[in-house]
Amino acid sequence: MNMVVRANERWGVASERLGGALPIALVVLAVALAVMQPAFLSVANLIGILRQVALVGIMAAAMTFVIMTGGIDLSVGPVLAVAGLVAVLSLDGGAALPVALLLALLLGLAVGLLNGCLIAFLRLPPIIVTLSMLSIVRGSGLLVGGPDLHGVRGQPAFSFIGTGSVIGLPFSVWLFLGVAAALLFAQRRTPLGLLVAAIGDNERAAWLSGHRTRLTTMWLYGLCGFCAALAGVIQASQVHTGSATYGEFGTELDVIAAVVLGGTQLAGGKGSIARTVLGVLFLGTLNNGMNILNVPIDIQLIAKGVIIAAALGLGQLRS
Amino acid sequence: MSGLALLEGRALSKVYGLSTVLHPTDVVVVAGEVRGLVGSNGAGKSTLMKILTGAIAPTSGHILINGEIASPGRPLEMLRRGVACIYQHSNLVAEMSVLDNIYIGRQPTRRLGLIQRKLLREQAQALLARHGMDLDLDAHVSTLSTVRQKEVEILKALALDARVLLMDEPTAWLSVADVARLHSTIDGLRARGVGIIYVSHVLDEVFAICDTVTVMRDGSVVADQPIAQLDRARVIELMVGKTLATQALGEANGAARSAPAAGVPRLRCRALSKRGEFHEVSLDVHAGEILCLTGLVGSKRSELVQAIFGANRFDSGTIELEGVPVKFHSPRAAIASGVGFVTEDRHRDGLMLDLSIAENLVAATLGRYRRGLLLAGERIRATALRLITALNIQPPDFMKPVRLLSGGNQQKVLLGKWLDLQPRLLILDEPTVGVDIGAKAEIYGLLRAARDNGMAVLVVSSDLEEVMTIADRIAVMVAGRVVRTRETCETKIVDLVRDMGAVSA
Repeated sequence: MNMVVRANERWGVASERLGGALPIALVVLAVALAVMQPAFLSVANLIGILRQVALVGIMAAAMTFVIMTGGIDLSVGPVLAVAGLVAVLSLDGGAALPVALLLALLLGLAVGLLNGCLIAFLRLPPIIVTLSMLSIVRGSGLLVGGPDLHGVRGQPAFSFIGTGSVIGLPFSVWLFLGVAAALLFAQRRTPLGLLVAAIGDNERAAWLSGHRTRLTTMWLYGLCGFCAALAGVIQASQVHTGSATYGEFGTELDVIAAVVLGGTQLAGGKGSIARTVLGVLFLGTLNNGMNILNVPIDIQLIAKGVIIAAALGLGQLRS
Repeated sequence: MSGLALLEGRALSKVYGLSTVLHPTDVVVVAGEVRGLVGSNGAGKSTLMKILTGAIAPTSGHILINGEIASPGRPLEMLRRGVACIYQHSNLVAEMSVLDNIYIGRQPTRRLGLIQRKLLREQAQALLARHGMDLDLDAHVSTLSTVRQKEVEILKALALDARVLLMDEPTAWLSVADVARLHSTIDGLRARGVGIIYVSHVLDEVFAICDTVTVMRDGSVVADQPIAQLDRARVIELMVGKTLATQALGEANGAARSAPAAGVPRLRCRALSKRGEFHEVSLDVHAGEILCLTGLVGSKRSELVQAIFGANRFDSGTIELEGVPVKFHSPRAAIASGVGFVTEDRHRDGLMLDLSIAENLVAATLGRYRRGLLLAGERIRATALRLITALNIQPPDFMKPVRLLSGGNQQKVLLGKWLDLQPRLLILDEPTVGVDIGAKAEIYGLLRAARDNGMAVLVVSSDLEEVMTIADRIAVMVAGRVVRTRETCETKIVDLVRDMGAVSA
């Protein structure tokens, strides 16, 4: 049933129903947390959750398309770090803000396109290509910036990206919502959504039907790199520093977990940006809840792993 | 045929929820008998087969093996009692030897679990000798031809002392010569008292090899007779009813066939060559005609038409479309010039199985369903509904994932995708493999209608019945060369078979 609904949401024949376990799990989790700790429901805390998930959310939205093609991008963590580093170092070196941002974002795009080119045109396995890229980008970052933190001062406009607010919501949250809405729109209302699903389902059939499957795949990796760089800029702005060591400790895994939790299949074909956003919110709420309940970090990690595995297991059982 | 009843199904039925897929049915397999089982998709053949192999339990009725009641729904028990099934798709381990495949998982062992290879080899050789078969036990299965692989599967079943063999579409993907080879193997088994159920969509084979035939329609047996009492036309009529039977038999074709077209051909190939694939191929396809390109498996017909479509390269030669030289570097370019290509393997190359019928139907024409950046959802829906009606796609639900359709309906979706393009030239590669005769008849009707509307249709087919039924002209390809082109009305099947064998002999 779900499959039927999802088959059509892409071009808006039927309005999408967000059925399934995930929305229910999110509500149950929220209610449980609210009962245990009423402060959970405070506006400040809820906005805090959104602020915390913005970075992973931006990357997860783009990653959804990549995973839907049957691929994966493991290089988002280092791209995030190096993009932030490039922005900070450029500003430090006297570049104007737009120039610094452009450099950072183009760098992410370029890394993504290179990934995509190797994967789509040379037919190399995505996991190997992006794993290599993870190492190369991280190493290049360390080469340029060393392991140090590079501060940025006296740049109010830059600081605004990560710390400013517009109509009561942090600007970074607006960016997340903007990216998610744009990709959601692309998936549901434009041929791209159908094309991505077609490539993931049967790339050869899509090619034989006259679609530019390789070019499309390449640009999807470009988009993924671009979004990682955007997340990197936001992060650098939030903490007023750039460093080649940011985005370690499994950033890419958080992103992939959110996508998969949203029901996108690693084998490609099926997936939904809307559900990925729910997956992002679920993971964010879980983190936040364990923080406000003072769960120690070691237990948090274990609990998170168990819950992700359990959620996936349940999804598998249902289908 | 008064032999011993090896396997007997009595009043077997199957009900799923509210729908009865199999009404109470009797079926008997006698020693030394080959029983044909025919019927359209959905007629209940597969359900009956699954009950007989124990894959599913019947809702009512029971199965007797050598007169004893067998517990229903126990595949291992059926196998142990000597009922084995040869499936359409291979169940062999490609990277292992023939010998290992025959005894996989149940090798006789000595102490310490060592396999007694010598003993195995002797047993296998005795088996080969007894059934007059000839196989290299050390060959890797992956290196064997499809028909040889079928023989390995049969041998594997015989090694289990199978007395009854169920064969599900055993000749799908086999060439004419290989079908003959398989049939002589079956003859040998029959002579040694094995009972066989032979499920096939290809009626000529049923008439060639079977002693008796069971015809099913809509979940019931509508005929159970010695084959000698029936003819082709009668069997088809039993299977699909009168109207469709006329279409399938090609009687509709003779009348509607237009005179050979003159003037500039729609497609003109001259001396197309690709090293190791095809050589100096010259072909003309005119507007308003169906040209069938036939030949043995491996005669490189698919490679040739893929090259025309831009999905394969070629080294030299020219292609003209209505007199204009073209060379397509991608399917995209071919489609832009109005060439459509119904690919051979619908699961691998043709369909997006988890996408809906509607999405598959517009997959080749997506560019037409845009309004600026957006997809025009309501126009996609309208097209889908129109094609579903025109092609009689079942179920008529455009949101249904294509994976859930029967083979015939999947093929109709694939055809519909290309008809929506309204191509000048439509190429089809084996358009009815694994499609039941009802859907076949419908597909033939659609191709004739397209031709009568002025489309040029190029069909690659190994199925000679099909070729004789739909072709206006027939080109025979042998080992990468077109050896002969004939007018269908002046051609008999034996001529084609002779053409095909001409060069290879």
